Amino acid sequence: MTEEALVEARDLGKRFGDFVALHPLDVTVHAGELFGVFGPNGAGKSTFIKLLTGQLAPSLGGARVLGTDVAKNPQKVKANVGIVPESESPPSYLTAAEYLDFVCRIRDLDDIEAKVDHWLDWFGIEDKRDALCKDLSKGQRQKVMLASALIHKPRLLFLDEPFVNLDPIYQRKCRGLLMEHIANGGTIFLCSHILEVAERMCTRVAVIDQGHVLAAGTLDELREDPGEDLEDIFIRLVGASVNLVEETQVEEEE
Amino acid sequence: MALAGVVEPPTFSVSFRAHFRMMFREEWRQNVDFARKRHIMMFPIMLALVTMVITIGLRFLTGEADIVPVQDSAEAAAAQADKALSWDDLKLGLHISLFMFSLGMGSFAFIGRNMVSQRAGGKSYLLAGPALLPLELPPVYLAYYCKEVAFYLCLILGPAVFGMGLGILVSSFFGISTPLLWGSLLVVLACMLLTMMQGLAMSFFASAIWSRSRIGAWLVPLSAVAAGVIVALDIVPFEWAILGLQVQLSHDFTLIPIAMLASLGLAALGAHLVPTDFEVRVTARDELFEPVHRRLGFLGNGPMRTLVAKEVVDVWRSGTMFKMLGSYCVPLLFLLALAWMADFARFPIPFNLLSYAPFLGFFGFNFYAWLNAVDSPDFLNGLPVRVPQLLRAKIIVYFLMTTWISVIFLVLMASMLDQWAGLVPALIVMTANSVYIVALTALLMGLRPNKAIFDTSTMAIFWAATVVPLVALFLLSFTQGDMSLYQSGFTQVASEGIDANATTTNRIGDAEASFSGIIAISVGLLVLGAAFLAMLERRWGRSAFEN
Repeated sequence: MTEEALVEARDLGKRFGDFVALHPLDVTVHAGELFGVFGPNGAGKSTFIKLLTGQLAPSLGGARVLGTDVAKNPQKVKANVGIVPESESPPSYLTAAEYLDFVCRIRDLDDIEAKVDHWLDWFGIEDKRDALCKDLSKGQRQKVMLASALIHKPRLLFLDEPFVNLDPIYQRKCRGLLMEHIANGGTIFLCSHILEVAERMCTRVAVIDQGHVLAAGTLDELREDPGEDLEDIFIRLVGASVNLVEETQVEEEE
Repeated sequence: MALAGVVEPPTFSVSFRAHFRMMFREEWRQNVDFARKRHIMMFPIMLALVTMVITIGLRFLTGEADIVPVQDSAEAAAAQADKALSWDDLKLGLHISLFMFSLGMGSFAFIGRNMVSQRAGGKSYLLAGPALLPLELPPVYLAYYCKEVAFYLCLILGPAVFGMGLGILVSSFFGISTPLLWGSLLVVLACMLLTMMQGLAMSFFASAIWSRSRIGAWLVPLSAVAAGVIVALDIVPFEWAILGLQVQLSHDFTLIPIAMLASLGLAALGAHLVPTDFEVRVTARDELFEPVHRRLGFLGNGPMRTLVAKEVVDVWRSGTMFKMLGSYCVPLLFLLALAWMADFARFPIPFNLLSYAPFLGFFGFNFYAWLNAVDSPDFLNGLPVRVPQLLRAKIIVYFLMTTWISVIFLVLMASMLDQWAGLVPALIVMTANSVYIVALTALLMGLRPNKAIFDTSTMAIFWAATVVPLVALFLLSFTQGDMSLYQSGFTQVASEGIDANATTTNRIGDAEASFSGIIAISVGLLVLGAAFLAMLERRWGRSAFEN
């Protein structure tokens, strides 16, 4: 890990009408880190990733990714990072191989055929290379999306629930791949609600709920009790968050 | 907690009732999802206002009232009366447009298949429910048909008839007489509802047949063309082809319940014919993306070429190309058949080659809407491309897929009408209109043209921006009725509008001036089209990929 900041969010917030999806927050991710954002369903994790990758415009504050102002030049950010969205599928009417070919051309890569073959083989979907993406299982589509995010060897990866549809074998294989990416100097920004992943892999984590960052730091920094595991920390923080929100609502009503 | 025992699946009526209610809500929320609620509520209000104005102006349309008398002899007045639209002409126009709209909206069998195949993606709809829930297809599809009828009744027919009522009220208040009577309103509503039910049912039935087999996919367009020819040859009169029109002309009200039941029956039959096929077949496909990409070398090596190749593969593999080309070609074939059979010299309006050219561009909206319905573009959010690039790619695909058809159509039409002199200007007019209308649609509606049709503000701008140049080109084209003699004149059109007569003047200079006007408007449309394309960046540059 170095001191070079690859992701810098300052007062970054998002509103949808009256609903605050993400309260203003500050986050810095350094090169070589595997930074995990954890929270329950609907906590604001995906919104956070979308703001950092230029898929959403912030309502407040801003962010720089790889030194680029995301709001000013989202295309440059997308060109230099790999993104695995939580729920999006590859295009229905392209085959798995064609989609990776498509991504290589959009990213202006060379040696396309070798890259496509490599990643289809790596994810064990070589036999599905000529099947339409809409006909693939959820796990296979997830593998195609992961391959499309890795195919250009980006320095920084944004992964939103990347393991959720994968079988245990490929979860382990992907964890190994991500650790190798970190070992090679890469950086990962990971959103998940699978705590086991955080415990095994992340160098630092942030826990968010209902758009608030409840705590951020290394696991050791977040522990109140040496015997606490991440699940204990998570439940303690999120449980407190529910109380915090209720108190805020009472204050607002008063 | 006691576990449930063995239960039976819901009955037809339970499924139908549950779906009808929820589908109505789903439709409403889908529309609200794109346009704000205020805009959707404005749509029926605007429609009511428009029909009110038309009702007040009915006497002028039927020639029973003149704004400025332009005829100075009894013969000329009689000739003008001949050329005015009759009451029956207006009814015909009303029902044809409603029938065509219903045909366009009724292909639920296709929609259902798409929904089933996409249910694991970001969006899932009630129509895809039978794939997962203990439901049979027929009650669900029949509920969808009834929901469509009810939704359009509330959103279009009801407000339109309400507007007619307002028109009668306002007319009586200001002492303007209108031929429409209070007692007619219920009849008009019933007849319009009947036309809509018939159109939706026929379209649904045809799409179900089409979905069943390859033979069905050939049978349906062939039957559509055959039906058009049968009606054009008057073997089955128009008023019997559209039953709502027949009731409105004959006032034979016993036909209403019979025809409504027949439409419902046809829809029920269609619902039973929709193939129960939820199987996802995983089959190997031949490489298509790379060969298409290779052939698009003229687009350079940037992302545009890649996006266009992807769009072409999409429309081909989804089977949409066949449907889109069918929807584009069938009306053109019908027009060609009409030109072949009808003697245009008898028509009160001097149609000619240049009259058709603007309408070819107008079909661009439909085609562009189809292109956006093929698949979800959400996956592009993670790639370094922007919405305007995809919009331009779709426009390029539109031109690649339709230009050759339009050119063939104009060449055939020029041959049939023996108006070769008008071919080059007609091609210019067609191209200009196509560029203009597709660029305008992309600018106003982006990736969501199918949802924009109920957004009043968007549609108001769209209609104003398309109807004005379209009508101008259409009216000016009448001056070119006889291409060899240039007998018509601009003043004739200016003073008499659609009553312009192709044989009353012999001022070649005026016809040439009109011709220059047509070309000038076309050049203007091309410039505007280019400007709209340039404005895509500002309008959609920061938008996310979603449709």
